[in-house]
Parts: sequence; structure tokens; C-alpha cells
Amino acid sequence: MKLLCDHQRLREGLALVNGIIPNKATRQALENVNLVAKDGTLELVGTDLEVALRLSIEDVKVGEPGTVLVPGRVTADFVRDLVGDTVSLETSGENKLIVSSGSGRGELPTSDPDEFPVVARFEEKGALSVQGGTFQKLVARTAFASAKEQGRYAMHGILVMVEDETLRMVATDGRRLAVSSAPIVGDGGPPRRAIVPTKAMQAFQRVITDPLEQVQLQFTDSQLGLRTKRAEVFARLIDGEFPRYTAVVPTETSHLLEADAEQLARHLKLVSNVTTTDARAVRLSLSTGRLELFGRSAAAGQASAQMDADFKGDDCDIAFNPDFLMEGLRNCESDVVRLEFNDRTSPGKFTLGENYVYVVMPITVDI
Amino acid sequence: MAAGIPTILHVDMDAFYASVELRDRPHLAGRPVCVGGEASRRGVISAASYEARRFGVHSAMSTARAQSLCPDLVLLPADFEKYTAVSRQIMGIFTSYTPLVEPLSLDEAFLDVAGCERLHGDAVTIGRAIKADILSETGMVASIGIAPTKFVAKLASDLEKPDGFVVITADRVREVLDPLPVSKIFGVGDRTAKRLAALGVERIEQLASRGRDEVLHEFGATGAWIHDLAHGIDPRRVTPGRQEKSHGMERTFPEDVSDRGELRKLLYEFCDSVAFTLRERGLRGRTVTIKARYWNFRTVTRSHTLSQPTSLGPRLFATARDLLERVPQGPLRLLGVQVGALEDVRAPRQAELFGEPLLAPEDERATKAQAGMDALRKKYGKAMVKPASAMRDDGVS
Repeated sequence: MKLLCDHQRLREGLALVNGIIPNKATRQALENVNLVAKDGTLELVGTDLEVALRLSIEDVKVGEPGTVLVPGRVTADFVRDLVGDTVSLETSGENKLIVSSGSGRGELPTSDPDEFPVVARFEEKGALSVQGGTFQKLVARTAFASAKEQGRYAMHGILVMVEDETLRMVATDGRRLAVSSAPIVGDGGPPRRAIVPTKAMQAFQRVITDPLEQVQLQFTDSQLGLRTKRAEVFARLIDGEFPRYTAVVPTETSHLLEADAEQLARHLKLVSNVTTTDARAVRLSLSTGRLELFGRSAAAGQASAQMDADFKGDDCDIAFNPDFLMEGLRNCESDVVRLEFNDRTSPGKFTLGENYVYVVMPITVDI
Repeated sequence: MAAGIPTILHVDMDAFYASVELRDRPHLAGRPVCVGGEASRRGVISAASYEARRFGVHSAMSTARAQSLCPDLVLLPADFEKYTAVSRQIMGIFTSYTPLVEPLSLDEAFLDVAGCERLHGDAVTIGRAIKADILSETGMVASIGIAPTKFVAKLASDLEKPDGFVVITADRVREVLDPLPVSKIFGVGDRTAKRLAALGVERIEQLASRGRDEVLHEFGATGAWIHDLAHGIDPRRVTPGRQEKSHGMERTFPEDVSDRGELRKLLYEFCDSVAFTLRERGLRGRTVTIKARYWNFRTVTRSHTLSQPTSLGPRLFATARDLLERVPQGPLRLLGVQVGALEDVRAPRQAELFGEPLLAPEDERATKAQAGMDALRKKYGKAMVKPASAMRDDGVS
């Protein structure tokens, strides 16, 4: 293999692929990036067996086509720190790749590319076209609500659904739930759904560099594939039962609060300072025209804050984990956040934007 | 701390259960008295009066053995409600002197009186006052040890029992510890004592004179601990309000029980009683464990974690009953239930979107009904309110 490649493109490409390559893998080959040079392009391929990414760099001067495996971390770091506009890659003997640019030169160890798992090609047929920015937005609106702790298998992913010309994503950790959808132009085809690991969805999100670009989505039984102009990403699906989320989104509610999102977030942050990890609760006390927030813990004292707000319903209290609310408010796309609920033990429904709902289970204090 | 009067007290009631019974039955004074289960029901001795101890009777001994040692032994049934009430009185006396009270059991506690001098005098003055208060308010006798550390204070309370009052100042710790057998060290059980003896170490002095590395090498982490204690080093502080981690109840049967219906009935009784105690202490628990010991002493436990903590007897029972199904059939000599992962009922609880509701409507009703029943029980005793299924044998129609 012998080629000349634009430095900046190679650097960015390696950084993206490196986001997927595991630091410590059970199979040593997985700690490598697979470089494939042919027909004026250089492909960078990395996988952790959950997610696989193939990135193409165009306008490469390929002197000798070929394929090698080089250590992902070292190669990315070395290329990042090179100076010069063009990088030359050239295999030397059986197990060396010479990387040079400007006055810098490195010899990196290579290994047998046959050791590397086969990464499928994107299948065009039956693929669905979505605007890149739409996909990114839906991931950003939901990913934060997916489960982080062990043991909630199906909740470690984002539910991706296509139905009735709508792309919908849902994420939950069992205590809060984010749902968002966007229309897709043209025929969506048959209804499709998949639970995609959150980490993979974030990788998908990263490879979309142009929000206006149309990206292709391909659902199979075991994978979700996404193709952009220069990249193909595949994620192994979570084979599990996603909770029946529609049942927990309240439809009719007796209390409605509309409050300035930024001010609410600020007050929550203030009051939550006196709550502790084992008593993480902020109580919202609602009355006409008024919202009061209270926090207390045995160890850290108590605090309160008041603000004006529109409120419809009988005076009442409801308590939430302030971290959940603040995370939601960080994603709030309108100036005013809307909270609807029935009573202090049933879910609170926050409207954070158009077609964007965030449902949070309250915290009960006392019985 | 400068060598002055130490501040840690260990207060230990003398033959507590037996003394409570003797106080209430003055005609038994001077006779060997025990609290425990009947020999015919394979009972064990819970407490023995000093008169009984002269015959070699001691707690944890089987009643049958105790009666063979002392044929005139007066055996009384245990009345824990009474002991708990007396215990509360005694703990109340402690807290009137210092907030730093760490109860170890119903009849035993560590106190730290550092900083109480201006109000109540030094530790010796306070110790004397506590002893006098206990006698005048409950009619019972306590032994008190005062020392710079918990370990030595506990040793001290035991040195002149009964009716002991021993102060060990820092400069005397060495001379008190040295001649004692190593088994006096907290953490040295029979096995460790035997291993130490094999190394030629029988008295605390001998243990203290061994190199720390040597003891550490031989006994691991325990080695470091017992070596420190042998030197009178004990960094444990008196920590009040030591949170209970679990609460349970178990019973050894007079005769092995195989009948599942009978076992379920007992389980119900245990769950009900455990739940009552939890509610009384303002706690609720999340893990339910049952323990079953077979006739041949093989013991199995089965455990389940609830999605939400509870202090309702029927809830605990529903889980315990399922756990019992997972215990292989066979004659049992012991059955018990334990509730763990306890938390304050006032602790905030995060509700789940897809799980069971925090409080099912029937639980909400049950909680309210329970409060009423608890009030009745507190007033008239535990037998006041029972499930109908438990009343069949009581002649209640």
C-alpha cells in the first residue's frame, strides 16, 4: 500500500473511527483501524463488534492499492501531531507502515488484515432517506434519558421507529422518558422499529457532518445501518422488549404549569444544592400565578425559591429528582416549558419543544 | 488526649432479663432464676441470675442441660415487651447525660461523655450518677466500665461484675490488659484463640509483645485488629443512632415441623411481627430473606428484593410465602424471616414508570388500616389484633 492523503481529512477521519475502537478489546485485532486503499479513496474501518464504522476519504493519490491493520490509538495520535498538508502512507516489508508528513516520520507496526472482522456494505435496496439534521436532533433530544446503570437491558438503547411518514425516537431509564418525532419526506415504506444502543446512536450522530445532507437508513433484523456521503455505520440491535411507553405518557391531566424554562432551571439548580444523593428531591409547590421550589436534606439544610408562572388547577405539590428536570430543561427548545400532571404520584409530562415530550416520574416523600 | 479521666463508658445491666423478672417477683429473690424456653420445647437459656450461674448455668445453654446442672432452677418465659420497656427507660437515662449513646443491645451501651464535664461533671461522676439513676428508676443494677477506648471500657465493665464500677485510666491500660487471656479481645474467638495458643500466645501481654508483621502475616486483617487491641489501641468512636440494617424474627420449634400450612401460618406471624416493629421504628425494608433449618441442621436461605420497600406484614408475607415454596420439603427445626435494606419511611422514593406503582390503592388502604390496628396493639398488646385465620385455635367464634 502506498498513498498520499490530505492531512486534515485523515486526522478527522482517524479521530472519528477512534471513537469506536475499544481501548482494551478481547480480540487484539479490534484495537486496530483497518486501512483500505483503492481507486482514489482510502477507507478507515473500525469496530467494537457492537458498532462498525467505515469512513471514506476521497481525492487520495493511491500509488499502490492495499490493506493494512494499524493500532488505532497510536496512529490517530501520531497523525494528529504531524505537521504538513499531506501525509504519505507506505507499507514497508511485512509488518511496517511508514507514516510521514513534513519533516516527521513514523514507523507503525501492522498486522494481518485477515484478523479483522468483516464489516458489511450498506445495502441500498429498501433504504429510507432522512435529513441528517433531523436524525441528529432526535438523537440529541432523547439519548440523555436512556439507562446508564447495568441491568436495564432494553433501556440501554434508543427505540427508533418509522411509521406513517414519521421518524420517532424514544429513550427511557425507567424513571423518565423522552419521546420525539419528526416528519420524513416521501414514502417511509412499511413500519419499522429497532432498539439501537445509545452509544451507537451517538456515533451515528457524529458521522453526520452536514445537517442538510440526506442520509440513508437501513433496518435489518440484527442491524441498523446509516449511510452518509462519506461514511457507513452499522449498529447491532438490542434484542429485547422495549417498555410499552405510550401507556405512561399522560393524555388527560388536571394540572397545567407554564413557566420560563431558563428561570426554572436556575431555581432548580439553586435549590438542589441542599439536597443529597440519598434525598435527591425538589418539591414544586404550585398555586395560581406562582411556583415555589423547596429542597431539604438532613445533612445539608434547606432552601427555597419562588417565581411567577401560569398555573391551572387546584393548588398542589409534586416533587422530582432535580437532575432529571435540569437535564430535560437543558434540551428545552422553547422559552416556556409546559408541565402537565394529575397528582403527586403520577407522571409529569413536560413539553420541551414541538413533537418533543419528556415524562418524569415524581418522587414521593412520606406516605 | 492527656492522661486524665477517660471519657468512654460501657454500661452493662447485670443478668438483665433475669433481673427484670426478679424485680417483679420479689418472692424469688435468692433462688436460681432463669429466663428461657422450656426443655420440652428444646428451649435455650436467655439469661441466668447470679444464683443460677453458681450452678454453671449460663445463657445460650440448652434448658435441659441447665436443669440437669441445677434441678431447683426457676424457669420463667421471656417477656420481651417488658424488657424493651425497661431498656427504653435505661437508654433515656443515658441520653439525659450525653447525646453520644451507642446501644449494643437492650441492656448494653457505649457512652462518650467528652464535653459534658461542665454540665454533669467528669466521667466518674456521671458513671456514678447513671448507676444510681438506673437503680432508683428501674430497681436494677448495672455494671459500668470507664476507659479511654471502647474495647477497654467493655473489659472494665466486666471485671467486677455484678455491681461493678471500674475506671481504667490510660496509664493503667497496659497493666489491666497484660494478664488477661487473649479470648477477652473482641474478635478472638475459639478458633483464633487456639491458633494463638499453638504459637505460644495465651495472654494479651504475649500477643502485644509479638511483632506486628508476624501477627499480620499469620492472621491477615484480623491480625492487625487484634494486635492493635492487645496494645489498647481502638480507634472506634461512639456512634449514636447506629442504623439498623435488618430486622427479623426466627423460632426453633419444640418439634420438627414439615407441614407447609403450619409453616406458612408461622411465617405470617413472623412477618406481621417484624412489620409491626419496622413501623414502630419508622423503617421500611426492601429485601426479604427466609431461613429454614432442617432437622439435621442443614440451613438454607432464600432471598428476594422487592421493587419498593414496605413495612406492611401482608406484603412481606406474600414474598416470604413464595420464598418458602423454593425451600425443599422436609422437617424443619427452625424457620425465620428477615427484612433488610432498611430505610427511613421519610426517605424520598423515586417512582418507576413501568414498574409497580409505589403504593397500590390496596396498599394505601392497608397502610391506613394498619395505623389504626397498630394503635390498638400498642394499647392492649400484640394479641389484640390478629388475622381471622390465626384466630381459629383461640376459641374466638
